[in-house]
Amino acid sequence: MQSWIPVLVYLAIASSVGVVMLGAARVLRVRARHVPPTRAATYECGEEPAGKAWIRFHPRYYLVALVFVLFDVETVFLAPWALATRALGGYAVVEMVVFVAVLLLGWVYAWRKGALRWQ
Amino acid sequence: MNLLFGLSPFLAVGVGALLLMLAEAFGKPNVAPGVETTDAGAGRAGELALGAAVILVIGAVLSVAVWVAGPESLPELTQVAPHLVIDKFTLFFSFTLCVGGALAALLAGGYLPEHGIDRSEFFPLLLLSTVGAMALSAAGDLLTLFVALETMSLGVYSLIGLRRGSPRAAEAALKYFLLGSFAAAIMLFGLALLYGATGHTDLAGIGAAVRSIGSPGSTVSAGKILISLVLVLVGLAFKVSAVPFHQWTPDAYEGAPTPAATYMAVAVKSAAFAVLLRVLLVGFGDERLASWGAGWPPALAVLAVLSMTVANLVAGRQESVKRMLAYSSIAHAGYALVGVVAAMRSPEAVSAVAFYLLAYTVSTAGAFGALILCGSRGAEAVSYEDLAGVGKRHPAAALAFSLFLFSLAGLPPTAGFFGKLYVFRTAIDSGLYTLAILGLVNSVIGAYYYLRVMVYLYMREPAPGAPRAVTMRSGFVATALVAAAIFVLLLGMAPGFTLDMASGAALTAR
Amino acid sequence: MGLTGYLLLAAALFSLGVFGVVTRRNAIGVLASVELMANAVNLNLVAFSRHHAGPTGQVFALFSIALTVAEVVVGLALVLLLFRAKGDVRIELASELKD
Repeated sequence: MQSWIPVLVYLAIASSVGVVMLGAARVLRVRARHVPPTRAATYECGEEPAGKAWIRFHPRYYLVALVFVLFDVETVFLAPWALATRALGGYAVVEMVVFVAVLLLGWVYAWRKGALRWQ
Repeated sequence: MNLLFGLSPFLAVGVGALLLMLAEAFGKPNVAPGVETTDAGAGRAGELALGAAVILVIGAVLSVAVWVAGPESLPELTQVAPHLVIDKFTLFFSFTLCVGGALAALLAGGYLPEHGIDRSEFFPLLLLSTVGAMALSAAGDLLTLFVALETMSLGVYSLIGLRRGSPRAAEAALKYFLLGSFAAAIMLFGLALLYGATGHTDLAGIGAAVRSIGSPGSTVSAGKILISLVLVLVGLAFKVSAVPFHQWTPDAYEGAPTPAATYMAVAVKSAAFAVLLRVLLVGFGDERLASWGAGWPPALAVLAVLSMTVANLVAGRQESVKRMLAYSSIAHAGYALVGVVAAMRSPEAVSAVAFYLLAYTVSTAGAFGALILCGSRGAEAVSYEDLAGVGKRHPAAALAFSLFLFSLAGLPPTAGFFGKLYVFRTAIDSGLYTLAILGLVNSVIGAYYYLRVMVYLYMREPAPGAPRAVTMRSGFVATALVAAAIFVLLLGMAPGFTLDMASGAALTAR
Repeated sequence: MGLTGYLLLAAALFSLGVFGVVTRRNAIGVLASVELMANAVNLNLVAFSRHHAGPTGQVFALFSIALTVAEVVVGLALVLLLFRAKGDVRIELASELKD
């Protein structure tokens, strides 16, 4: 049980930060008598928001995201390899070249099949 | 050099898959002038089917070549062990898988253009999935097992969904996918526990650790081993579609393009049986686990009896021939499981199962192919009614259909007869009389719904006014049927050579 | 915290995932539940890896992560396919009672 005390202290501090900040904002805020509609609006980089926040995205976003995620996650193999290359020697380099080559092949395929085209 | 030769079946299909992928992506679309397409594979199913079939036949020939040269004479192969175990067992199964994949590719070459499914991705996906299936039959390590299983399955999920715009196909694919990944997650949990309990991921090491249970100084927990055994069995029972893990099968087969259903029925099932045998005999081969009183044989016997009985009872009530063939594939999983149970006592049972699966592969691929031949664009032959009178309209298709149904029913002189004979004989030799008798009774019940198809083919006329399915002509499908028929008759009339090869496979599985 | 704590947590996550698969009607919900199960296994693998003082379990976990992502990509593509064909992603996994 002893080893849990730091975790509990950490949790207590972390949650108190949020509580203190929100509480301070509530205490210190200046109440406006009249709220103009522009101030109550959603802030979107200075642009006037158009439409609702819950809209249906075009499926093309998903396609691009899927292709991205697929290639992105291959770094789980690259990172440990980078740490161990020196110990493993030339053979590991050749293997990784083959791996990346196959991956590139997949990318070329996605490109040729029009998965990256935005239309 | 010897290493490359030993791995050549895998390399041929794997590199072939990548080349076919490039060929598909960089070719010139073959569409009518004036039609705009962004898909380089459009309209090229024929040439790609031929390419895929050639690559898989090369894989099959190389499997035989390595078998003849003898994997035990290639000491370099130990470098890839235990991740890939290249022995006669593996090579026999990789031959079966290549044959099944090649037949499915040929069927697709005729089926996809006929039914307007212009998806040339089918062929690279089929090859990549076959690489996964072959690696699965060679997996001697939990890591390879999982990677290979996923490689095989991901390809198949996509193959089912290739019929665009069809809610049925999309739902079938998604359902199979969700249940499949659910089963894979359950199995992965089992694999993790197995590693946790034994500290090994190679099956041989796990087998040794399991044997050490009970001896002084062993820290391996029997409870964890049993739980992981159950979880792994659930995952694999799903892949071989044994009752009660079969619910997805009829839906997936019905929604999928018929060649994809063929591939699932033959290759996915065979590969799953290969890995099931290896996991059980190498990983859980300990006498206490592989005995009638405890461990996996009684559990598998229950699965076998349920699969045979339930599938046969339900198959007879189907109106769709495709669904009937789906239930038939479940029943055949039951027969093969009888052989797996017998493998606890006799090494010959392993070769009986291997032979059975080869016979089942060529018969099922043939039956699906004949069904494809009975329909044409817009009017796929689905129900028994669609087959009425085909014996007159297309005698060759009806004759081929009958031959493959004979084989599935287990009648001589076909491959299916010897397959069943060997499986049930090893069961009797191992003293599993009840199981063998139940198998025989079920074979007789099963003959009913196979013969019913023949009744419609030859003795019924289409109802007046009913839309009749027009038979199609396709060189690809015809080639596949001729090849499958040659296999069925060869294995049925001269099984000795293949059986010798299969019995070579048995010795090395243990 | 010993091995048991991790195993209990993983088992709890895994059971939550199973519960989700069984009760969810939305395909994406089922997919997310399967992911939860896979991640529970990854936790197990890493904990076992530490227990056995070797890298094997961690390597296994890395492969499992990559494969799970590949699985999700295929799954989402199929969900997209169903949505395009049907305009809905609700599915009934246990509809096999009809025969």
